[in-house]
Parts: sequence; structure tokens; C-alpha cells
Amino acid sequence: MADFIRNPVVALPDPNPASHFSKEELVFTAEEKEKIAEYVAQYPTPDGAVMWALWLAQEKFGFLPSEVMRLVATELSLPYAQVYGVATFYTQYFKEKKGTFVLDVCTCFSCQFCGGYDILAYLEEKLGVKRGHTTPCGRYTLQEAECLGACGSAPMMQVSNGPYAHNLTPEKIDALLAAMEAGKPLPFVSVTLPQDEDEMGGNRRTDAEVVEHYAVPPQTKRTQ
Amino acid sequence: MTKAGDWKSYKRVLLPPVKDLHHLDVYQEQGGYQALRAVLSDWKPEDVTAEVKLSGLRGRGGAGFPTGLKWSFMPPVKPDVPRYLCCNADESEPGTFKDRQLMEYNPHLLFEGILIAGYAMSLKACYLYVRGEFASWITLLQNELSKAYDAKLVGDNILGTDHSMDIIIHKGAGAYICGEETSLMESLEGKRAYPRIKPPFPAQSGIWGYPTTINNVETLACAPIIINRGGDWFAGVGAKKHPGPVLYGISGHVNRPGVYEYPTGMLITDLLEIAGGMRDNKKLKALVPGGASVPVLRADMIDGVTMDVESLQEAGSMMGTAGMLFLDEDTDMVAFLRRVARFYHHESCGQCTPCREGTGWMENLITRIDDGEGNLRDLDLLLDLCDQMEGRTVCALADAAAWPVRNTIKRFRGDFERRCRPAAWAVNA
Repeated sequence: MADFIRNPVVALPDPNPASHFSKEELVFTAEEKEKIAEYVAQYPTPDGAVMWALWLAQEKFGFLPSEVMRLVATELSLPYAQVYGVATFYTQYFKEKKGTFVLDVCTCFSCQFCGGYDILAYLEEKLGVKRGHTTPCGRYTLQEAECLGACGSAPMMQVSNGPYAHNLTPEKIDALLAAMEAGKPLPFVSVTLPQDEDEMGGNRRTDAEVVEHYAVPPQTKRTQ
Repeated sequence: MTKAGDWKSYKRVLLPPVKDLHHLDVYQEQGGYQALRAVLSDWKPEDVTAEVKLSGLRGRGGAGFPTGLKWSFMPPVKPDVPRYLCCNADESEPGTFKDRQLMEYNPHLLFEGILIAGYAMSLKACYLYVRGEFASWITLLQNELSKAYDAKLVGDNILGTDHSMDIIIHKGAGAYICGEETSLMESLEGKRAYPRIKPPFPAQSGIWGYPTTINNVETLACAPIIINRGGDWFAGVGAKKHPGPVLYGISGHVNRPGVYEYPTGMLITDLLEIAGGMRDNKKLKALVPGGASVPVLRADMIDGVTMDVESLQEAGSMMGTAGMLFLDEDTDMVAFLRRVARFYHHESCGQCTPCREGTGWMENLITRIDDGEGNLRDLDLLLDLCDQMEGRTVCALADAAAWPVRNTIKRFRGDFERRCRPAAWAVNA
């Protein structure tokens, strides 16, 4: 503290950080540019397309370091500050490098009392990392997420901002991790409404690849 | 006339029992887009709004504002001034998961509702703001939307008439605050989602400064039903001052959680019975009737209470989003409140100081109590903090964070006091 009083200067972040990507990598292809132009056309001003463009960039580059934000800003002819502001506001845009699979375990109150923290603890033990960290091999990032809107099928998690996995148990997690190791894409899971089970004998979508039912939630051991 | 007690014979209308209803052809076979056809050929826009007013439909997104009235706030049409509709599918209120299931199982009902609302307010574009976590559902919606475009149900000259309307899906990226209507508009404009001060209300100055109306998914999905069956039919379903079918999202310690469609005005005890009763025959301890921000009810407070605005207000809570969380006798209410406070601390956008700082202090204080290091005076400090936050911010997030804290402490004070260190003056310390 005393040192801070004598020398009240906060070290600024490096103004020219080393780029994570080479110059050749750091471009949008003609197809991607076309896609972005499509997004821009959907809004009265190019600003509206920022979120879609950032999603596209994140899919391409995996995360959004400052050079990628600059690329998006140039593409949309917007100030870098605005793109930076948007990218840092929303939790689903990754500002630093994450694992190949990002496991977002929901622990908000429905999941909290239906075993969400037990699932998180199981994953911590299984992967050997604490929440908020990436495994040394760079494959998994384990995160605690706020409500993901699947409270009836708690505990649940989302994998890499994509498919949901419902009614989790340790066995189910083992199977999921094995599928990820094998490089299988995780399917979209359709959760059957209880009234449909009674009136129609099952899921109403005949094209659903995987069907899940709402289940009695497990007993909770941990609440944090 | 359906009475609240007639739930056993209730026939679902938002999610009728039809296989593959999400396919456009199945939906049309079942009489889908009939309401749109009727409206476009025979109705005047103001008659549609009048019918919705007659139906008594209230917004299903949490605030419960009368939808017809909201639609009538739109200013008269001026040439060269665009006007917009926003459909709020940023369902992030903890305990709520109904819109996701509606979008999955009956997307065309939503599209038809959007088109009818667009016609009623004479507007040509709707932004469907879906939260980023629902990436899989965005793909499903986009597939069905492009089919509707191909069938000339959406786009230019709908069904050969001179009415045109576009539906544009916007993908959010994980921010609870975007469910607040003004911050949703900021987010659509490609900015950080900081809520705006009202007035001006969205109907005067919405997205890009143009007149805008924002409705929830379930609210808009009710529009085709109102047109098909008439406003007076709708007004006769469920509770008198808050009519219509509603999707109850039941979660927590029940045997059969899930999304159930029933009329409003259902007895809470009936809904608990429908959801299979409490798990392991335990006793109910607490109920959150409409998402994280509504005041929690003690088990002894729910007798005879029905799920509608009036009855819940009398009981000391709110309808919210009808996302009901049942908690059994073993629940630790301090841990519950700690998690709720953590949620609001994480999701506060940081624009207003009382909320940005207050939610953090709330979490710290409750964490201290939960860790067994709290003092009795912390409880009163928390209540005081609630007073300092409520009504002092741009949007209602600070209020939403203060209500559960205030009411959980008030209604479960014993649970909290037992976790605190005894006061210095306690006789039997």
C-alpha cells in the first residue's frame, strides 16, 4: 500500500500485445465476408451485426483476443472501442483461450438444490482442475454457469456454447466425456413434456435424435 | 366457460397434443396460419388490438402488463418512420424454462403470433432476440423460419396481400440483463446492454429511436389463439383479471418437474399434485412462484392461493414468469439466498452504483452468514441495504435483487439467526 502511495501508477496493459495469430490467419475469407454482409443487411446500421460477427469470429478463431476484435471492427467499419465493449460485456464471448470443450455446469438455484454442485465437484475431481480453469492438456475448460434455462431437467450443463446435457449423473458424465474423447458430436436432446407422456405416450418430435424425460431430481450433497 | 377448478378436463392450446407440430405442413393441417389468413383478409389492424384488449391477455414475461394496451401505445403510422416489434426470447430468469419448450415444440405458433401482432401495429419487421445459450434452438427456429419464408407466410406480400413483414433472429451472448426491454434494445443496436431511462418508453423511442413494442414469446403465441377462438373465449379461461392458458415451469424437489400448460388461476396445491407431489414424501418448506426475483413463500402461506396476479399479490408474492421452484424441508435457505445474491451480483450490468456495489455487498454479507461468521446485526444491515437499492437505479434489476433478500430474511428469519453468531447481550449464548 505504501508503495502505491509513493508511486501511484498502475501498470497499463501492453499496448501492442503479441498476436495469437499470424497475418495470414487473421483474415476473413470471401465466404465469411459475404455472411457478415448478410448480417449487416438485416439491420438499419452495421452496429446491429456486431454480435453475429463476433459469434462468427469466435467460431473461426476459438476466442476473441484484441486482434480478432480489431478485425471485426475493420470489417464492420466500427470503432474498435465499441466492438471491445460488446465483446467484454457478454459472458459467452471468450476473451482468453479456452479448452476444446467448454463445460458450463449450471449451478443457479434450481440446479443448486438438485445436485448441480455435486456434478461440478465430480467434474473437478474427474478432470483434476478447479472451476474456472482449463486442463493442462488443453481439452477441457470447466466453468460454473448462471441459469441456462433448463431448470426442470436439473442438474444440467452446456458443452461449448452448443448442446445441453440434461438430468446429469456421474455415469452420464463419464459417457459424455468418452464421447467427446472419441470426437463424436454431441446430439441435440429433446426433453419430453410430462403432459405429452400422458396424452401421447412420448416425445412429440418424431425426428428427435435423442429424447430425455424430466426426472425426479437427485438428493443434493453440496450447495456451493 | 372454464373455471379454475376444471383443470382435469383442460385441453391444451399452446402445445396441443399433436405429433410433429413443429413441421409447417403438420401445423397447417391442424389449422395453423388460419388466424393470419383471417386477419389479413377481413380484419382492420385496430380491430385486432381491440380483440386482444377484450381477451384480457397480460404479458407472460414477468411484469404482467396488459398486452392490448401495450399495442395501443404505438403512435399513429407516419410514412418514412419505421416501427419495430421485438420478441423477447432472452429467457434467463432462474427457474424459468417455458419459452424454450414452446420454441422447440410449436415455433410456427410464435411466428403466426408475431405476424398478427405486426399487422395489428402496422409494422414490417420483428427482431426475435434469443439468448445465446439457446444456440441449438436458434438453429431449429431458423430452419422453420426459412420454410415459412418459402411458403410465402413471412416476407414480402404475405399470402398474396400487400402486407409484408420480416422476422429476423438475433442471437444474444449470455447476459441476464438483456431480458430487460430497454437493454434488449441496446443489445440489438450492437452496444453494451445498459438499460435506458424510461421515459421515453419504447413505443415513443425504441430501437434506433423508432417506435418499438416488446413482447414475450408466450404472449405473442397467444395472439393466434385469441383470433381463432375469440377474445371472449380467452377471457373466460382461468382467473378473471389474468385470463388465458399459461405454461407453468415446475422445478425443484418434486417427483415430476417439467413444463405444464394449464389455465391461470390454478391452486398452487393442485399444481404440486400435478407435478407428482414432493420428492420422497417430504414436506414443502418454501416456494418461489415466478422466477428468482419474486418474493419466496413459506409453505404455510400457499393454502388457497392461486396462480394469478391478484391472489399472489394478496399472499405477498408475484406471478412473475410462472417458473415455480418447490423446495423441501431439508433446504438450507441461507445457501439458497447466497446463490440468488451471487446470481444478481454476477448479472448486474454495472451501470448504476447502487446495484453494482449493492449486489456485491449483499453477496458478501450472506456469504459471511452462510460461513457461520455473520453477526445478528448483519441481517438488519441487509434489510437496510435493500432499502438503499430499491427504486434507485435505471432498471428493475436492483429491485429484483432486493425483493428475494428482503422477503427470504423476513419469512425465514429463524433460519438466518441460527446461523449467526449470538449477539453480545444474548443471555443463553
